[in-house]
Amino acid sequence: MDWFYVKGILILSGINLLAVLGLSLLTGFTGLFSFGHAGFMAIGAYVTASMSIKFGLPFIPSLMIGAMGAALVSLFIGRWTLNLKGDYFCIATLGFGEAIRLILDNVQYFGGARGWPGIPLYTNLTNVLILNIIGVVILVNLIRSRHGRNMKAIREEELASQIIGINVFKYKMTSLAISAAYAGVAGGLLAHYTGFIQPKMFQLIKSTELTIIVIFGGLGSISGSIIGAIVLTSLPEILRAFAKWRLVIYGMAVIFIMITRPQGLMGGYEITYGNIKKLVSRIFSIFNTKKTLGGDKQ
Amino acid sequence: MNILEIKNVTKKFGGLTAVGNVDFNVEKDSIYGLIGPNGAGKTTIFNLITGIYQVTEGEILFEKQRITKLQPYQIADIGITRTFQNIRLFKKLSTYENILTACHYNSKYTILDAIIRNRKFKVGERKLHSQVNELLEIMGLADRKDVIAGNLPYGLQRRLEIARALALRPKLLLLDEPAAGMNPEETIKLMELIKENRDRFNLTVLVIEHHMDLIMGICDKIAVLNFGRKLAEGNAQEIQTNPVVIEAYLGEEEVTLA
Amino acid sequence: MATFLQQVINGLSIGSVYALMAVGYSLVYSIMNFSNFAHGGVIMIGAYLGFFAMTLIELPFIIAFALAAVGAAMVAVVLERVAYRPLRNRNAPFLYFIISAMGASIFLENIVIATIGPNFRTYPRVFSATPYTIGSISIGRLDLTMFWVSAFSLAVLIFIIEKTKTGMAIRATAYSGRASVLMGVNTDRIIFIVFGLGGLLAGIAGVLFGMKYTVYPQIGFITMKSFIAAVFGGLGSLPGAVIGSVLLGTIETLTAGYISSQYRDLISFVLLILILIFRPRGLMGKVTEDKA
Repeated sequence: MDWFYVKGILILSGINLLAVLGLSLLTGFTGLFSFGHAGFMAIGAYVTASMSIKFGLPFIPSLMIGAMGAALVSLFIGRWTLNLKGDYFCIATLGFGEAIRLILDNVQYFGGARGWPGIPLYTNLTNVLILNIIGVVILVNLIRSRHGRNMKAIREEELASQIIGINVFKYKMTSLAISAAYAGVAGGLLAHYTGFIQPKMFQLIKSTELTIIVIFGGLGSISGSIIGAIVLTSLPEILRAFAKWRLVIYGMAVIFIMITRPQGLMGGYEITYGNIKKLVSRIFSIFNTKKTLGGDKQ
Repeated sequence: MNILEIKNVTKKFGGLTAVGNVDFNVEKDSIYGLIGPNGAGKTTIFNLITGIYQVTEGEILFEKQRITKLQPYQIADIGITRTFQNIRLFKKLSTYENILTACHYNSKYTILDAIIRNRKFKVGERKLHSQVNELLEIMGLADRKDVIAGNLPYGLQRRLEIARALALRPKLLLLDEPAAGMNPEETIKLMELIKENRDRFNLTVLVIEHHMDLIMGICDKIAVLNFGRKLAEGNAQEIQTNPVVIEAYLGEEEVTLA
Repeated sequence: MATFLQQVINGLSIGSVYALMAVGYSLVYSIMNFSNFAHGGVIMIGAYLGFFAMTLIELPFIIAFALAAVGAAMVAVVLERVAYRPLRNRNAPFLYFIISAMGASIFLENIVIATIGPNFRTYPRVFSATPYTIGSISIGRLDLTMFWVSAFSLAVLIFIIEKTKTGMAIRATAYSGRASVLMGVNTDRIIFIVFGLGGLLAGIAGVLFGMKYTVYPQIGFITMKSFIAAVFGGLGSLPGAVIGSVLLGTIETLTAGYISSQYRDLISFVLLILILIFRPRGLMGKVTEDKA
């Protein structure tokens, strides 16, 4: 495996990770499930590419505008669908994601279904890495604040959240918009990494893949999402040798995870300095009790 | 002064009248009891006050303001909160986090403040944490602060729900069967706790309960409901001697009055 | 006017096959409250079984039909055992079911690609290409078959649901799962039957679609349409699913006929979103009110 290949996998993992981080906020911390995040990625990709090609803006501002575009559309969707009950919101996002793709199929300005080639290759490992670090820091800071706690409360018990004065609708909107913005940035990065975008890249299966990663990592765990994004993006690449069997294995693995370890890899826990310290001291305390027991015998 | 006024409130579900033309007033700083057999409409009244249901007819005033059109979270904003008959805690969060979450609007920093971790955020968080510790002490939950709420024993879950409600610094607290499932000793302790908190926080309390000891022991005034209508209203003594009440409710269920 | 009628007739024929798939979807939804996205995979299996029965073993049309239906039903039942029952035993939230269903659908689609290959395959011609004509309107023989086979299958299903004891148990479980368990209904058995019935209909639909178009691994995606139809009619309602399917089929052929076939799918998904926004319970769905 040469460095070029590894670098490619890392960049793709990083792009996926940004989208997954956003979805993690929505699904893992606010308890809303979306099958339309590929749609937000599509908006991010097309808006970013337009900004940098048709308006000649630099890369980072283009990405930011792409993120804002995705967030704005998400607010519009959320305004109408966030008061729907669980399954229905899910279906609405699915319908939306597919609708975006089908609309793009028919917009000749962006190349329609044939796609849009010749997008400059601005995405590299450095800017993907930096954006991911910023993405994680923002998310962690948000979650460890009263606003993040309110979102978690909504995930746990919607009615009780209302009763303690949380404006549930507003927080759901906020969570959706932030998560769409993350997906938008991911889409923009993807467009400028592959140099070619096509509505087909943002099918339902992409949304599903993102949700699967979040669940694989464990709902409500950012470290889980990070590990999940890296493992599940590189796994199919590594399995390339099995070519046609890899998606069969993937499908089976998804069912297997659902029925055996539904809490995911991390099960809501985080890898933090504090938790590692706790774990280490617990291991040490086991050793210590053994020693004292031994001492008693003598 | 009346803090809460229920005026000719009716709630219908399709053809069924759950609450029919009920009115009563709750005086500030008092403890007011609602009793009645199951299905009498007590919890429905709580749901109407807290904005979970919309009234069909009539109005509800809080500090002289109409609150019948408000959303549940807006009701919380103006100082009314409640506990639930079937306990609705944030089950997977710890005792500490449950209270901390409910403290949220005693500190006003924005999402941006949180993301950049500025001074406003740090000061605000510190304030919230000290409030949580204070409430944990008051409610006797300090030694269980890291326990996941769903794993607490039943009695403590009820107590945590009250603590969470108090975290909002409400003016009016609605308790829906706070002593359900408790033994007499725990009930007495709870009674003391409610009274203590009323005095400490200048609370007004509206309580639904089946434990007659608790109701008769702490309520300044009691309303009896049956089939969605108010049967009688008065202090403990008046209720205990009211022949209509004894016949319609207490006599029937053979509850011996203390 | 004649073209309009022609389009409506085409719409009815395609809509009736949507209905076959939509009732399977809706049945599962009414009992288990989740959207079974693996239903498309079952339809695809049915289409392939019918195809191979007619080409490899050269079975007569009717027997190939029956074989496809039974095979698809078996796949549906096995799927339930493997992918859903463990979740059901644990009372997992609906999302886990959906993800498991997605996993199953990825698995089914790709195992077909890996073993049979991604190519499009065309059914042997069973019906003559000359249509029946009434005045200026012509009805393809296959279209007519699609319509009556679907109508007949649906009639049998409705008879089972409405008139038999098992049907009553299904309705009771849909109405209140917990209460029907207390009344002695064996939920596992009901779910087995529901997946079996849904699978049978899916197999029939698969063969009909395979004959109308072609057979390919992604043919299951067509269930998206029946899913929209089910939401349109009201999730969990069988008459709703049928009416929704017929309406959707007609709207689609009219769009294709009068605007452009390119917008056909787009219109369907926009319709889905509009329904969810303005009338989420669909035409005939049940209203649920939360209790505090």
